[in-house]
Amino acid sequence: MQLSYFRRVAAGGAVAALAFAGVGAFTAGPAYAATSKVSVVHGIPDTPVDVYVNGKKTLENFKPGDVAGPLNLEEGDYDIALTKPGEPIGSAILKVDNAAVPGGANISIAAHLDAAGQPKITPFVNDVSKVDAGKARLIVRHTAAAPAVDVRAGGTPVFKGLTNPNEAKGDVDAGTVKADVVLAGTDTVAIGPKDLNLKEGTATIVYAIGSAEGKTLGVVAQTITGLHSAPGGVPSGDGGQAGTGVDTWWYVLTGAGVLLLLGGGVRLATARTGRK
Amino acid sequence: MTVRNRGALAAMAAGVAALTVATLVACGAQPAGTVGAEEANTLASVPSATAGAPSVPVTAGELPVDPEIIPPVRLVIPKIDVTATVNAVGINGRTNEFEVPPSVDEIGWYRYGPGLETRAGSVVVAGHVDSARQGRGAFFRLGELNQGDTLTATGSDGQTRRYRVVAREEYRKTRIPLDRYFARDGKPRLTLITCGGPFDAKARKYRDNIVVTAVPA
Repeated sequence: MQLSYFRRVAAGGAVAALAFAGVGAFTAGPAYAATSKVSVVHGIPDTPVDVYVNGKKTLENFKPGDVAGPLNLEEGDYDIALTKPGEPIGSAILKVDNAAVPGGANISIAAHLDAAGQPKITPFVNDVSKVDAGKARLIVRHTAAAPAVDVRAGGTPVFKGLTNPNEAKGDVDAGTVKADVVLAGTDTVAIGPKDLNLKEGTATIVYAIGSAEGKTLGVVAQTITGLHSAPGGVPSGDGGQAGTGVDTWWYVLTGAGVLLLLGGGVRLATARTGRK
Repeated sequence: MTVRNRGALAAMAAGVAALTVATLVACGAQPAGTVGAEEANTLASVPSATAGAPSVPVTAGELPVDPEIIPPVRLVIPKIDVTATVNAVGINGRTNEFEVPPSVDEIGWYRYGPGLETRAGSVVVAGHVDSARQGRGAFFRLGELNQGDTLTATGSDGQTRRYRVVAREEYRKTRIPLDRYFARDGKPRLTLITCGGPFDAKARKYRDNIVVTAVPA
Protein backbone atom coordinates (compact mmCIF):
# COMPACT_ATOMS: atom_id res chain seq x y z
CA MET A 1 0.00 0.00 0.00
CA GLN A 2 2.71 2.38 1.00
CA LEU A 3 4.60 1.61 -2.17
CA SER A 4 1.64 1.95 -4.48
CA TYR A 5 0.77 5.26 -2.87
CA PHE A 6 4.26 6.51 -3.49
CA ARG A 7 4.13 5.39 -7.08
CA ARG A 8 0.87 7.21 -7.52
CA VAL A 9 2.33 10.45 -6.29
CA ALA A 10 5.40 10.04 -8.46
CA ALA A 11 3.23 9.40 -11.48
CA GLY A 12 1.19 12.48 -10.71
CA GLY A 13 4.39 14.48 -10.52
CA ALA A 14 5.55 13.26 -13.89
CA VAL A 15 2.29 14.26 -15.52
CA ALA A 16 2.41 17.70 -13.99
CA ALA A 17 6.01 18.35 -15.02
CA LEU A 18 5.20 17.29 -18.54
CA ALA A 19 2.20 19.52 -18.72
CA PHE A 20 4.16 22.47 -17.41
CA ALA A 21 6.74 21.96 -20.13
CA GLY A 22 3.85 22.18 -22.55
CA VAL A 23 2.87 25.49 -20.99
CA GLY A 24 6.22 26.92 -21.99
CA ALA A 25 5.59 26.18 -25.62
CA PHE A 26 2.27 28.02 -25.47
CA THR A 27 3.57 31.17 -23.92
CA ALA A 28 6.54 32.54 -25.77
CA GLY A 29 5.85 35.87 -24.09
CA PRO A 30 8.02 38.96 -24.18
CA ALA A 31 11.30 38.74 -22.29
CA TYR A 32 10.26 41.17 -19.55
CA ALA A 33 7.15 39.14 -18.65
CA ALA A 34 9.00 37.16 -16.04
CA THR A 35 6.13 36.56 -13.63
CA SER A 36 3.15 34.34 -14.15
CA LYS A 37 -0.25 34.50 -12.51
CA VAL A 38 -0.94 31.21 -10.81
CA SER A 39 -4.24 30.15 -9.26
CA VAL A 40 -4.91 26.99 -7.31
CA VAL A 41 -8.20 25.15 -7.57
CA HIS A 42 -9.26 22.53 -5.04
CA GLY A 43 -11.38 19.81 -6.58
CA ILE A 44 -10.78 16.83 -4.30
CA PRO A 45 -13.94 16.21 -2.25
CA ASP A 46 -13.85 16.04 1.54
CA THR A 47 -10.13 16.74 1.78
CA PRO A 48 -9.07 20.14 3.12
CA VAL A 49 -5.32 20.65 2.73
CA ASP A 50 -2.38 22.92 3.45
CA VAL A 51 -0.49 23.92 0.32
CA TYR A 52 3.28 24.26 0.38
CA VAL A 53 5.22 26.03 -2.36
CA ASN A 54 9.00 25.45 -2.21
CA GLY A 55 8.63 24.12 1.31
CA LYS A 56 6.79 27.22 2.55
CA LYS A 57 3.20 26.97 3.70
CA THR A 58 1.28 29.18 1.25
CA LEU A 59 -2.32 28.16 1.89
CA GLU A 60 -3.72 26.94 5.16
CA ASN A 61 -6.77 24.73 5.46
CA PHE A 62 -7.59 25.15 1.78
CA LYS A 63 -11.08 23.74 1.31
CA PRO A 64 -12.56 21.67 -1.50
CA GLY A 65 -14.38 23.92 -3.94
CA ASP A 66 -12.19 26.94 -3.16
CA VAL A 67 -10.01 28.87 -5.58
CA ALA A 68 -6.85 30.60 -4.37
CA GLY A 69 -4.93 33.28 -6.15
CA PRO A 70 -3.84 34.54 -8.44
CA LEU A 71 -0.32 34.47 -7.05
CA ASN A 72 2.40 36.26 -8.94
CA LEU A 73 5.17 33.71 -9.33
CA GLU A 74 8.54 34.43 -10.88
CA GLU A 75 9.45 32.24 -13.80
CA GLY A 76 11.22 29.15 -12.46
CA ASP A 77 10.89 25.69 -10.96
CA TYR A 78 8.59 25.07 -8.02
CA ASP A 79 7.97 22.24 -5.60
CA ILE A 80 4.32 22.00 -4.71
CA ALA A 81 3.06 19.82 -1.87
CA LEU A 82 -0.36 19.23 -0.33
CA THR A 83 -0.68 18.00 3.24
CA LYS A 84 -3.59 17.32 5.53
CA PRO A 85 -4.12 20.52 7.57
CA GLY A 86 -1.44 20.86 10.22
CA GLU A 87 0.59 17.89 9.10
CA PRO A 88 4.30 18.30 8.25
CA ILE A 89 5.36 18.56 4.63
CA GLY A 90 7.11 15.22 5.03
CA SER A 91 3.78 13.47 5.05
CA ALA A 92 2.39 15.20 1.95
CA ILE A 93 -0.59 13.50 0.36
CA LEU A 94 0.30 14.87 -3.04
CA LYS A 95 3.42 16.54 -4.35
CA VAL A 96 5.01 17.78 -7.54
CA ASP A 97 8.72 18.61 -7.64
CA ASN A 98 10.42 21.00 -10.05
CA ALA A 99 7.29 22.08 -11.82
CA ALA A 100 8.52 24.63 -14.36
CA VAL A 101 6.44 27.82 -14.33
CA PRO A 102 7.15 29.82 -17.49
CA GLY A 103 7.13 33.62 -17.58
CA GLY A 104 4.13 35.67 -18.60
CA ALA A 105 1.52 32.94 -18.39
CA ASN A 106 -1.77 32.62 -16.58
CA ILE A 107 -2.00 29.17 -15.06
CA SER A 108 -4.47 27.29 -12.91
CA ILE A 109 -3.22 24.35 -10.92
CA ALA A 110 -6.02 21.95 -10.14
CA ALA A 111 -5.82 19.39 -7.36
CA HIS A 112 -8.46 16.88 -8.36
CA LEU A 113 -9.37 13.26 -8.95
CA ASP A 114 -8.36 11.45 -12.10
CA ALA A 115 -10.89 9.39 -14.05
CA ALA A 116 -10.21 6.43 -11.77
CA GLY A 117 -10.69 8.45 -8.60
CA GLN A 118 -7.06 8.95 -7.55
CA PRO A 119 -5.89 12.41 -6.46
CA LYS A 120 -3.60 14.25 -8.82
CA ILE A 121 -2.39 17.72 -9.79
CA THR A 122 -2.99 19.10 -13.27
CA PRO A 123 -1.80 22.51 -14.46
CA PHE A 124 -3.90 24.28 -17.08
CA VAL A 125 -2.91 27.27 -19.18
CA ASN A 126 -5.70 29.84 -19.11
CA ASP A 127 -6.54 31.48 -22.40
CA VAL A 128 -6.47 35.14 -21.43
CA SER A 129 -6.48 36.55 -24.94
CA LYS A 130 -9.03 39.33 -25.50
CA VAL A 131 -12.57 38.38 -26.43
CA ASP A 132 -14.52 40.39 -29.00
CA ALA A 133 -16.90 43.07 -27.76
CA GLY A 134 -20.15 41.47 -26.62
CA LYS A 135 -18.57 38.05 -26.08
CA ALA A 136 -17.58 35.92 -23.12
CA ARG A 137 -15.28 32.92 -22.94
CA LEU A 138 -16.49 29.64 -21.48
CA ILE A 139 -13.89 27.05 -20.52
CA VAL A 140 -14.98 23.70 -19.13
CA ARG A 141 -12.45 21.35 -17.50
CA HIS A 142 -13.11 17.72 -16.76
CA THR A 143 -11.38 17.11 -13.44
CA ALA A 144 -13.79 14.58 -11.97
CA ALA A 145 -13.70 10.84 -11.44
CA ALA A 146 -16.19 10.27 -14.22
CA PRO A 147 -16.26 9.03 -17.80
CA ALA A 148 -16.39 11.20 -20.90
CA VAL A 149 -19.09 13.87 -20.82
CA ASP A 150 -20.91 16.32 -23.06
CA VAL A 151 -21.60 19.86 -21.91
CA ARG A 152 -24.97 21.21 -22.98
CA ALA A 153 -26.23 24.78 -23.11
CA GLY A 154 -30.00 25.13 -23.32
CA GLY A 155 -30.21 21.40 -24.00
CA THR A 156 -27.86 21.47 -26.99
CA PRO A 157 -24.43 19.84 -26.69
CA VAL A 158 -21.74 22.51 -27.10
CA PHE A 159 -18.70 20.50 -26.02
CA LYS A 160 -18.72 16.78 -26.78
CA GLY A 161 -16.74 13.84 -25.49
CA LEU A 162 -14.72 15.76 -22.90
CA THR A 163 -12.46 13.50 -20.82
CA ASN A 164 -10.38 13.88 -17.64
CA PRO A 165 -8.05 15.91 -17.45
CA ASN A 166 -8.89 17.96 -20.53
CA GLU A 167 -10.65 21.21 -21.30
CA ALA A 168 -12.99 22.53 -23.96
CA LYS A 169 -13.58 26.20 -24.63
CA GLY A 170 -15.33 28.69 -26.82
CA ASP A 171 -16.18 32.38 -27.08
CA VAL A 172 -19.93 32.86 -26.89
CA ASP A 173 -22.42 35.72 -26.69
CA ALA A 174 -22.35 37.20 -23.20
CA GLY A 175 -25.39 36.43 -21.08
CA THR A 176 -26.95 33.69 -19.02
CA VAL A 177 -27.28 30.13 -20.30
CA LYS A 178 -28.74 27.08 -18.64
CA ALA A 179 -26.03 24.47 -18.77
CA ASP A 180 -25.72 20.87 -17.70
CA VAL A 181 -23.25 18.01 -18.02
CA VAL A 182 -24.39 14.64 -19.38
CA LEU A 183 -22.61 11.35 -19.91
CA ALA A 184 -21.17 11.57 -23.44
CA GLY A 185 -23.72 10.76 -26.10
CA THR A 186 -26.59 10.33 -23.63
CA ASP A 187 -29.26 12.37 -21.90
CA THR A 188 -28.15 11.14 -18.48
CA VAL A 189 -27.52 14.29 -16.51
CA ALA A 190 -24.41 14.10 -14.32
CA ILE A 191 -24.23 17.73 -13.16
CA GLY A 192 -26.76 20.52 -13.24
CA PRO A 193 -28.61 22.08 -14.87
CA LYS A 194 -27.19 25.36 -13.56
CA ASP A 195 -27.51 28.97 -14.71
CA LEU A 196 -24.20 30.12 -16.10
CA ASN A 197 -23.86 33.88 -16.04
CA LEU A 198 -21.23 34.58 -18.67
CA LYS A 199 -20.24 38.19 -18.18
CA GLU A 200 -18.96 40.06 -21.20
CA GLY A 201 -15.21 40.40 -21.41
CA THR A 202 -14.50 37.63 -18.91
CA ALA A 203 -13.45 34.01 -19.01
CA THR A 204 -15.55 31.73 -16.84
CA ILE A 205 -13.74 28.50 -16.10
CA VAL A 206 -15.93 25.69 -14.80
CA TYR A 207 -14.27 22.63 -13.31
CA ALA A 208 -16.31 19.46 -13.05
CA ILE A 209 -15.06 17.89 -9.81
CA GLY A 210 -15.76 15.02 -7.45
CA SER A 211 -16.63 11.45 -8.16
CA ALA A 212 -19.53 9.88 -10.03
CA GLU A 213 -19.23 6.74 -7.94
CA GLY A 214 -19.02 8.65 -4.67
CA LYS A 215 -21.97 10.82 -5.77
CA THR A 216 -19.89 13.91 -5.09
CA LEU A 217 -19.98 15.42 -8.57
CA GLY A 218 -20.14 19.20 -8.60
CA VAL A 219 -18.49 22.26 -10.03
CA VAL A 220 -15.91 24.83 -9.04
CA ALA A 221 -15.81 28.09 -10.97
CA GLN A 222 -13.01 30.55 -11.56
CA THR A 223 -13.48 33.90 -13.32
CA ILE A 224 -10.83 35.91 -15.11
CA THR A 225 -11.83 39.51 -15.83
CA GLY A 226 -10.39 42.22 -18.03
CA LEU A 227 -10.47 40.37 -21.34
CA HIS A 228 -12.92 42.80 -22.97
CA SER A 229 -12.36 44.64 -26.24
CA ALA A 230 -13.82 47.97 -27.32
CA PRO A 231 -16.43 47.99 -30.08
CA GLY A 232 -15.11 48.41 -33.61
CA GLY A 233 -16.51 51.93 -33.82
CA VAL A 234 -19.29 54.29 -32.84
CA PRO A 235 -21.32 55.18 -35.95
CA SER A 236 -23.70 57.90 -34.85
CA GLY A 237 -24.80 60.02 -37.77
CA ASP A 238 -25.55 59.85 -41.48
CA GLY A 239 -27.41 63.12 -42.05
CA GLY A 240 -24.51 65.45 -42.71
CA GLN A 241 -26.18 68.50 -41.13
CA ALA A 242 -23.37 68.79 -38.61
CA GLY A 243 -20.57 68.36 -41.12
CA THR A 244 -17.73 70.76 -40.48
CA GLY A 245 -15.72 70.19 -43.65
CA VAL A 246 -15.86 72.41 -46.73
CA ASP A 247 -17.68 71.25 -49.87
CA THR A 248 -16.54 71.14 -53.47
CA TRP A 249 -18.03 74.59 -54.13
CA TRP A 250 -15.56 76.04 -51.66
CA TYR A 251 -12.64 74.92 -53.78
CA VAL A 252 -14.34 76.26 -56.96
CA LEU A 253 -14.94 79.61 -55.25
CA THR A 254 -11.37 79.83 -53.96
CA GLY A 255 -9.98 78.87 -57.37
CA ALA A 256 -12.14 81.45 -59.12
CA GLY A 257 -11.10 84.10 -56.62
CA VAL A 258 -7.42 83.43 -57.20
CA LEU A 259 -7.87 83.43 -60.99
CA LEU A 260 -9.82 86.70 -60.95
CA LEU A 261 -7.17 88.38 -58.79
CA LEU A 262 -4.32 87.16 -60.94
CA GLY A 263 -6.09 87.88 -64.22
CA GLY A 264 -7.05 91.39 -63.15
CA GLY A 265 -3.55 92.08 -61.84
CA VAL A 266 -1.88 90.92 -65.02
CA ARG A 267 -4.26 92.97 -67.11
CA LEU A 268 -3.59 96.09 -65.08
CA ALA A 269 0.14 95.55 -65.29
CA THR A 270 0.13 95.02 -69.05
CA ALA A 271 -2.10 98.07 -69.51
CA ARG A 272 0.40 100.24 -67.64
CA THR A 273 3.36 98.86 -69.58
CA GLY A 274 1.42 99.52 -72.78
CA ARG A 275 0.90 103.19 -71.87
CA LYS A 276 4.60 103.77 -71.47
CA MET B 1 -8.82 105.29 -66.21
CA THR B 2 -9.53 103.15 -69.24
CA VAL B 3 -12.40 100.74 -69.62
CA ARG B 4 -9.82 98.02 -69.73
CA ASN B 5 -8.42 99.03 -66.35
CA ARG B 6 -11.87 99.22 -64.84
CA GLY B 7 -12.58 95.67 -65.97
CA ALA B 8 -9.33 94.46 -64.46
CA LEU B 9 -10.05 96.18 -61.14
CA ALA B 10 -13.54 94.73 -61.07
CA ALA B 11 -12.13 91.27 -61.66
CA MET B 12 -9.69 91.75 -58.79
CA ALA B 13 -12.44 93.01 -56.52
CA ALA B 14 -14.55 89.99 -57.36
CA GLY B 15 -11.53 87.77 -56.64
CA VAL B 16 -11.03 89.37 -53.24
CA ALA B 17 -14.70 88.94 -52.45
CA ALA B 18 -14.64 85.27 -53.44
CA LEU B 19 -11.58 84.60 -51.28
CA THR B 20 -13.10 86.45 -48.34
CA VAL B 21 -16.23 84.32 -48.49
CA ALA B 22 -14.13 81.17 -48.83
CA THR B 23 -12.05 82.14 -45.78
CA LEU B 24 -15.13 82.87 -43.69
CA VAL B 25 -16.68 79.52 -44.61
CA ALA B 26 -13.46 77.66 -43.87
CA CYS B 27 -13.20 79.31 -40.45
CA GLY B 28 -16.83 78.49 -39.68
CA ALA B 29 -16.17 74.92 -40.68
CA GLN B 30 -13.49 74.43 -38.10
CA PRO B 31 -14.13 71.25 -36.07
CA ALA B 32 -15.27 71.54 -32.47
CA GLY B 33 -11.69 70.95 -31.46
CA THR B 34 -10.22 69.48 -28.37
CA VAL B 35 -10.05 70.69 -24.80
CA GLY B 36 -9.01 68.75 -21.72
CA ALA B 37 -7.38 65.83 -23.55
CA GLU B 38 -4.80 65.64 -20.77
CA GLU B 39 -7.49 65.34 -18.07
CA ALA B 40 -9.32 62.64 -20.01
CA ASN B 41 -6.11 60.69 -20.37
CA THR B 42 -5.27 60.96 -16.68
CA LEU B 43 -8.68 59.60 -15.71
CA ALA B 44 -8.01 56.48 -17.72
CA SER B 45 -4.67 55.72 -16.11
CA VAL B 46 -4.55 52.95 -13.55
CA PRO B 47 -2.16 53.19 -10.61
CA SER B 48 0.22 50.26 -10.59
CA ALA B 49 -0.58 47.69 -7.94
CA THR B 50 1.23 48.30 -4.71
CA ALA B 51 3.27 45.47 -3.31
CA GLY B 52 0.90 44.42 -0.58
CA ALA B 53 0.95 41.57 1.88
CA PRO B 54 1.98 38.28 0.34
CA SER B 55 -1.21 36.63 1.53
CA VAL B 56 -3.12 34.71 -1.10
CA PRO B 57 -6.77 35.59 -1.67
CA VAL B 58 -9.05 32.58 -1.41
CA THR B 59 -12.58 32.60 -2.80
CA ALA B 60 -15.32 30.02 -2.86
CA GLY B 61 -15.37 28.74 -6.41
CA GLU B 62 -19.04 29.43 -6.90
CA LEU B 63 -20.62 30.16 -10.25
CA PRO B 64 -20.65 33.90 -10.92
CA VAL B 65 -23.92 35.71 -10.24
CA ASP B 66 -25.42 38.70 -11.99
CA PRO B 67 -23.65 41.80 -10.70
CA GLU B 68 -25.73 44.76 -9.54
CA ILE B 69 -25.58 47.28 -12.35
CA ILE B 70 -27.52 50.54 -12.46
CA PRO B 71 -28.21 51.52 -16.07
CA PRO B 72 -28.75 55.19 -16.85
CA VAL B 73 -32.29 55.77 -18.11
CA ARG B 74 -32.35 59.53 -18.63
CA LEU B 75 -29.78 62.13 -19.55
CA VAL B 76 -30.20 65.90 -19.16
CA ILE B 77 -27.67 68.41 -20.53
CA PRO B 78 -29.12 71.92 -20.02
CA LYS B 79 -26.37 73.75 -21.95
CA ILE B 80 -27.33 72.06 -25.24
CA ASP B 81 -31.04 71.48 -24.51
CA VAL B 82 -30.79 67.71 -24.24
CA THR B 83 -33.38 65.72 -22.31
CA ALA B 84 -33.24 62.20 -23.63
CA THR B 85 -34.22 58.66 -22.83
CA VAL B 86 -31.29 56.28 -22.47
CA ASN B 87 -31.59 52.66 -23.61
CA ALA B 88 -29.26 49.77 -22.90
CA VAL B 89 -27.53 48.69 -26.11
CA GLY B 90 -24.78 46.32 -27.11
CA ILE B 91 -22.89 45.39 -30.22
CA ASN B 92 -24.13 45.12 -33.78
CA GLY B 93 -23.39 41.49 -34.62
CA ARG B 94 -22.72 42.25 -38.26
CA THR B 95 -20.40 45.22 -37.92
CA ASN B 96 -18.98 44.68 -34.41
CA GLU B 97 -19.79 48.34 -33.77
CA PHE B 98 -21.62 50.12 -30.97
CA GLU B 99 -25.37 49.69 -31.53
CA VAL B 100 -26.54 53.31 -31.32
CA PRO B 101 -30.38 53.34 -30.94
CA PRO B 102 -32.18 53.71 -34.28
CA SER B 103 -34.27 56.64 -32.99
CA VAL B 104 -32.12 59.77 -33.09
CA ASP B 105 -33.93 61.16 -30.06
CA GLU B 106 -32.63 58.35 -27.87
CA ILE B 107 -29.24 57.67 -26.44
CA GLY B 108 -27.60 54.26 -26.07
CA TRP B 109 -25.79 53.12 -22.95
CA TYR B 110 -23.14 50.41 -23.50
CA ARG B 111 -24.57 47.64 -21.34
CA TYR B 112 -21.37 45.58 -21.25
CA GLY B 113 -19.45 48.34 -19.51
CA PRO B 114 -20.09 49.77 -16.04
CA GLY B 115 -23.35 51.40 -14.97
CA LEU B 116 -23.84 54.51 -12.85
CA GLU B 117 -22.99 52.59 -9.67
CA THR B 118 -19.42 52.10 -10.81
CA ARG B 119 -16.41 53.10 -8.76
CA ALA B 120 -14.04 52.54 -11.66
CA GLY B 121 -14.06 52.79 -15.41
CA SER B 122 -16.00 54.52 -18.12
CA VAL B 123 -19.79 54.55 -18.41
CA VAL B 124 -20.31 55.03 -22.14
CA VAL B 125 -23.34 56.63 -23.79
CA ALA B 126 -23.58 57.41 -27.49
CA GLY B 127 -26.20 59.21 -29.55
CA HIS B 128 -26.76 60.36 -33.09
CA VAL B 129 -25.57 63.75 -34.18
CA ASP B 130 -28.19 63.49 -36.91
CA SER B 131 -29.75 61.14 -39.42
CA ALA B 132 -30.62 61.49 -43.07
CA ARG B 133 -34.23 60.50 -42.46
CA GLN B 134 -34.93 61.79 -38.95
CA GLY B 135 -32.92 65.02 -38.94
CA ARG B 136 -31.09 66.34 -35.90
CA GLY B 137 -30.21 63.85 -33.20
CA ALA B 138 -30.02 64.16 -29.42
CA PHE B 139 -26.28 64.84 -29.58
CA PHE B 140 -26.43 67.36 -32.45
CA ARG B 141 -24.78 70.00 -30.30
CA LEU B 142 -22.52 67.77 -28.19
CA GLY B 143 -19.47 69.53 -29.63
CA GLU B 144 -20.57 72.78 -27.95
CA LEU B 145 -19.96 71.40 -24.47
CA ASN B 146 -17.05 72.88 -22.62
CA GLN B 147 -15.04 72.20 -19.51
CA GLY B 148 -17.14 73.00 -16.45
CA ASP B 149 -20.54 72.42 -18.07
CA THR B 150 -22.76 70.13 -16.01
CA LEU B 151 -25.16 67.35 -16.87
CA THR B 152 -27.22 64.82 -14.97
CA ALA B 153 -27.85 61.15 -15.49
CA THR B 154 -30.73 59.38 -13.79
CA GLY B 155 -30.33 55.70 -13.05
CA SER B 156 -32.86 52.88 -13.05
CA ASP B 157 -32.82 53.29 -9.26
CA GLY B 158 -34.45 56.71 -9.66
CA GLN B 159 -31.38 58.51 -8.36
CA THR B 160 -30.04 61.48 -10.29
CA ARG B 161 -26.30 61.94 -10.46
CA ARG B 162 -24.47 65.12 -11.45
CA TYR B 163 -21.45 65.18 -13.73
CA ARG B 164 -19.04 67.92 -14.74
CA VAL B 165 -17.43 68.05 -18.18
CA VAL B 166 -13.63 67.88 -18.06
CA ALA B 167 -12.79 67.27 -21.71
CA ARG B 168 -14.08 67.48 -25.25
CA GLU B 169 -12.03 65.75 -27.90
CA GLU B 170 -12.34 65.18 -31.62
CA TYR B 171 -10.68 62.23 -33.33
CA ARG B 172 -10.70 60.71 -36.76
CA LYS B 173 -12.67 57.48 -36.44
CA THR B 174 -9.63 55.60 -37.68
CA ARG B 175 -7.49 56.90 -34.83
CA ILE B 176 -9.80 57.21 -31.84
CA PRO B 177 -8.38 55.35 -28.80
CA LEU B 178 -11.63 53.46 -28.12
CA ASP B 179 -9.94 51.15 -25.61
CA ARG B 180 -9.48 54.13 -23.34
CA TYR B 181 -13.11 55.21 -23.61
CA PHE B 182 -14.44 51.69 -23.09
CA ALA B 183 -12.03 50.95 -20.22
CA ARG B 184 -13.38 49.32 -17.11
CA ASP B 185 -10.63 50.65 -14.92
CA GLY B 186 -9.29 54.05 -14.04
CA LYS B 187 -11.34 56.80 -12.36
CA PRO B 188 -15.15 56.61 -12.60
CA ARG B 189 -16.32 58.76 -15.51
CA LEU B 190 -19.10 59.27 -18.00
CA THR B 191 -18.12 59.25 -21.66
CA LEU B 192 -20.46 60.73 -24.28
CA ILE B 193 -19.80 59.96 -27.93
CA THR B 194 -21.25 61.15 -31.22
CA CYS B 195 -20.11 61.86 -34.77
CA GLY B 196 -18.56 65.03 -36.09
CA GLY B 197 -16.06 66.57 -38.43
CA PRO B 198 -16.38 66.69 -42.20
CA PHE B 199 -19.22 64.69 -43.73
CA ASP B 200 -18.60 62.36 -46.64
CA ALA B 201 -21.85 62.72 -48.60
CA LYS B 202 -21.12 59.68 -50.79
CA ALA B 203 -20.39 57.27 -47.95
CA ARG B 204 -22.99 59.04 -45.71
CA LYS B 205 -20.48 59.09 -42.91
CA TYR B 206 -18.79 61.59 -40.69
CA ARG B 207 -15.03 61.44 -40.56
CA ASP B 208 -14.66 62.02 -36.84
CA ASN B 209 -16.00 61.14 -33.44
CA ILE B 210 -16.59 63.78 -30.80
CA VAL B 211 -15.98 62.52 -27.27
CA VAL B 212 -16.99 64.37 -24.12
CA THR B 213 -15.64 63.15 -20.80
CA ALA B 214 -17.39 64.05 -17.54
CA VAL B 215 -16.66 63.15 -13.93
CA PRO B 216 -19.01 62.93 -10.94
CA ALA B 217 -19.55 66.50 -9.77
